[in-house]
Amino acid sequence: MSDSHSHSRSKSISLPPRLSSSHEHHRKFKMVCIRKATMDDLFAMQACNLFCLPENYQMKYYFYHILSWPQLLHVAEDYGGKIVGYVLAKMEEETTECHGHITSLAVLRTHRKLGLATKLMTASQNAMEQVFGAEYVSLHVRKSNRAAFHLYTETLGYKIHDIEAKYYADGEDAYDMRKQLKGKHQHLHHHHAGGCCSGDAKTE
Amino acid sequence: MGASLPPKEANLFKLIVKSYETKQYKKGLKAADAILKKFPDHGETLSMKGLTLNCMDRKQEAYELVRLGLKNDLKSHVCWHVYGLLYRSDREYREAIKCYRNALRIDPDNIEILRDLSLLQAQMRDLAGFVETRQQLLTLKPNHRMNWIGFAVSHHLNSNASKAIDILEAYEGTLEDDYPPESERCEHGEMLLYKISLLEECGLLEKALKELRKREFKIVDKLSYKEEEVSLLVKLNSFEEGEKLYRVLLTMNPDNYQYYEGLQKCVGLPSKTGQYSSDEIDNLDALYKSLAEQYTWSSAVKRIPLDFLDGGKFRDAADNYIRPLLTKGVPSLFSDLSPLYDHPGKANILEKLVLGLEDSLKKTGGYPEKSEKEPPSTLMWTLFYLAQHYDRRGQYDVALAKIEEAIQHTPTVIDLYSVKSKILKHAGDFASAASLADEARGMDLADRYVNSQCVKRMLQADQVSLAEKTAVLFTKDGDQHNNLHDMQCMWYELASGESYFRQNDLGRALKKYLAVEKHYADITEDQFDFHSYCLRKMTLRAYIQMLRFQDRLHAHAYFRKAAAGAIRCYIKLYDSPPTSSTEEDDELAKMPASQKKKLRQKQRKAEARAKKEAEVKNEEANAGGASKYGKRNVKAVDPDPHGEKLLQVEDPLMEAGKYLKLLQKHSPDHLETHLLSFEVNIRKQKILLALQALKHLVQLDAENPDTHRCLIRFFHKVASRPVPTSDTEKLISGVVEAERPTFSQLQGKSLMEANTIFLEQHKDSLMHRASVAEMMYCLEPNKKAEAITLIQDSPNNPVSSNKSLGSVKQWKLKDCVAVHKILISTFDDQNAALRWKKRCGEEFPYSTYFEGSLCSTQTKTSKAENGGIQNGKVEKLEGGMKNLAI
Repeated sequence: MSDSHSHSRSKSISLPPRLSSSHEHHRKFKMVCIRKATMDDLFAMQACNLFCLPENYQMKYYFYHILSWPQLLHVAEDYGGKIVGYVLAKMEEETTECHGHITSLAVLRTHRKLGLATKLMTASQNAMEQVFGAEYVSLHVRKSNRAAFHLYTETLGYKIHDIEAKYYADGEDAYDMRKQLKGKHQHLHHHHAGGCCSGDAKTE
Repeated sequence: MGASLPPKEANLFKLIVKSYETKQYKKGLKAADAILKKFPDHGETLSMKGLTLNCMDRKQEAYELVRLGLKNDLKSHVCWHVYGLLYRSDREYREAIKCYRNALRIDPDNIEILRDLSLLQAQMRDLAGFVETRQQLLTLKPNHRMNWIGFAVSHHLNSNASKAIDILEAYEGTLEDDYPPESERCEHGEMLLYKISLLEECGLLEKALKELRKREFKIVDKLSYKEEEVSLLVKLNSFEEGEKLYRVLLTMNPDNYQYYEGLQKCVGLPSKTGQYSSDEIDNLDALYKSLAEQYTWSSAVKRIPLDFLDGGKFRDAADNYIRPLLTKGVPSLFSDLSPLYDHPGKANILEKLVLGLEDSLKKTGGYPEKSEKEPPSTLMWTLFYLAQHYDRRGQYDVALAKIEEAIQHTPTVIDLYSVKSKILKHAGDFASAASLADEARGMDLADRYVNSQCVKRMLQADQVSLAEKTAVLFTKDGDQHNNLHDMQCMWYELASGESYFRQNDLGRALKKYLAVEKHYADITEDQFDFHSYCLRKMTLRAYIQMLRFQDRLHAHAYFRKAAAGAIRCYIKLYDSPPTSSTEEDDELAKMPASQKKKLRQKQRKAEARAKKEAEVKNEEANAGGASKYGKRNVKAVDPDPHGEKLLQVEDPLMEAGKYLKLLQKHSPDHLETHLLSFEVNIRKQKILLALQALKHLVQLDAENPDTHRCLIRFFHKVASRPVPTSDTEKLISGVVEAERPTFSQLQGKSLMEANTIFLEQHKDSLMHRASVAEMMYCLEPNKKAEAITLIQDSPNNPVSSNKSLGSVKQWKLKDCVAVHKILISTFDDQNAALRWKKRCGEEFPYSTYFEGSLCSTQTKTSKAENGGIQNGKVEKLEGGMKNLAI
């Protein structure tokens, strides 16, 4: 918190010492990278969402996710440090069965065919299972979105659980899809994780 | 509460409070009125009624009642608390804190008020106060987990991490050995990780590592555990263990570059931007070859070596890397490799390599030295790559030829049109770029990405209303026409603002810039709910990061652009105030004073009426029920949709000052911040503040042409000021005189000499020459012709070819446009501008601005709704920033 004070500058003519190289300067070269999201990624995640998808959220909703389940948010970052994909996910806390839910997943059109969506989803699903002991993970997908549907069923092993009529603002139906996680059956301490689903906390 | 009331009314009072908490406001209102019937002056009831009305959007009445209630019962902590809550609801946190403090003076141990106060203190970063309040809460209720955690966090925020550790350890001391129960394992693990991060922050690395390992079985989040462990190991120079752990992490996620960086550091080959020795390159090569065998599915492991390899090894590795990706048709291949174009020589190698592939594919249908045939799409993706390659090198004609060939090959691939649009934009044909993007959009109407791309291009071509119509295809939310603003779509708002600014529609431009500024205020506000939420959820590491993120929120690029844009608008407004050119105003001018007054009154009344109507509409809309996402009320009717009121500010420079302050605080290492500060302060006659801005500029980049302009303008201005008479003016002159020798550029030289020397140092650079020419004219207006010649004689040399860029000339299109505007605004020389335009039209044949021979506005009638760029009609105020109004 102390850095909030270090910015204040004196009113006199004398100058503070020149700041060392700005962030841009020591940005290193990187390939597309899959990693956990940090606070500094949230703006870019929001921008990526607004550029790619019709379902959008205010910043507070991103805060809500990262401050509740920081382990579940992941980003794909390209060379220049640009966020080219993300997964925003949560744990459902109001149900008895502990499960995760994919709130939003997007990859820029320019970065298709790299398997980024699969890698992002896998990272988030693993964390749901490992940290929170999720039994399954759910998501909604537009009935007309064949590409996404194919990814979820063929590559990631989701199954249609239900159809939600007129789920989207424009009146389109959604598939309610689920994927069983191996979760508890494999762990020695099968109660190992969990508990986080019983929280009463909710921001709004 | 309600203590002074008889039992029946006291019960009613409790009902008001309960109704407020459960949001049953009408019920609460009824109860309040019942009490007030008997006790019309009852302070606490009046206050609670006010608070209830506040939630029913009757703000003015709310404040009146709450204040009246307080007046009637100054000794009531309830009245003070309510007053604080009212202020809090209006984000007036400083006032709210004062009210809470008064309430606590009357009832010092009131937990609820203390808790509310602590939230405000966290929000306002009143850290000492926050510590104090959290301490009181812990003292009052030591059996609450949250109070221990809150106290520790408050010390951490107040820069006392070691005290925070002590508190957490004391808290752990209160726990049973078998803690935590199943339901709290997750939270407890987070607390432990937080404590370990505090130890790390305090530099107690060994203790942190020991603690981490001791607690391993209690930490649920195993990935965080390992990342923390490896970070500590590296800091402790335990590289062997670190290496092992990084390899484990890579098995878990072979696409996380941070792990590769860490691994390299552990094996003594830290990644760096400079050159590696040949031994180091060999070692790295060997390392990545072994990693590639292990993590066959990782793309990172194949890509990284391209960064450190050189010459023939680079060529071979790139060849191996590129071929399968072209076969697969990975559209991001070029963007993946584009950073290599900064390395001398690598771009040339890549060019030769890919041209070789193209040649072979065309001749044999396969890659060189391969007998297998490639699918036809491989050639298309190769052409796609080459188009982007030549675009990057500024060879737009070749780039367009390649992309055209790709489109001929396969006309159905959207990406080809997107790239063609991008090349045209770089080449300066904005209208064509927009129509190409629109073509791409039409090929997949369900894909918002191509829609957004198209909107962006339309805005770049100044087709704002068409852009909005296009964007709206994806942004309808129920009845709402457009939710771009509600969803904080800042790239769109900024791009619109920039377009309006280019078109000199300052009202609409300001409207967009201020909309972005508003998002940042909202985002600052967003943190409020999380001060208590995170303590309960125990996501403490994320919470602290969020607070730190908030503290540097206004350093974010979107905010910087919006603030700078708004300041530019205000400067323009100051330089040329909106002329009231409408007939109505002409008539107004002719009217006698009394009649004028009447008319004004009439106008004011009409405005008030309109405002009221808008309010009623809003209330009706709000009553209409929650929208699907249930968060925001239905969009309010905007009383000033085109920003006309924004133009009527009394003191534009004062408005600019608000945003300038934020830039100075949060973006002090950006040249633009100080350029704007200079422009604002020189207009305000704030000599010392302008001098301060100048000093920042010189310190950040003394060789920048804009810095040079400010330097000369400043000292020219102070020299031409009248002899100081007042003490203040004398003082100012004294400071300026004392400071002048600290500018090495001016030592022992006249301004004209300094200008000439600057030219000598940068005579090949167009923008520097333009700067020198402007200053020459500024210092000696009779040298106008000489100054213009200086610009016209600028050479456009080829970029030196030992760098990776080949046969490309130095001039940038946007610089040439800027020079054209200078010729029109500063020099006011239409002929020179025309000659410049003709010359640049030849240099940039695709440019619509310069009407080059190949641009769409020359070759066909533009589809652009408002003619794209309004060529040559640059108004004089365009140059307002650079106007030599000294």
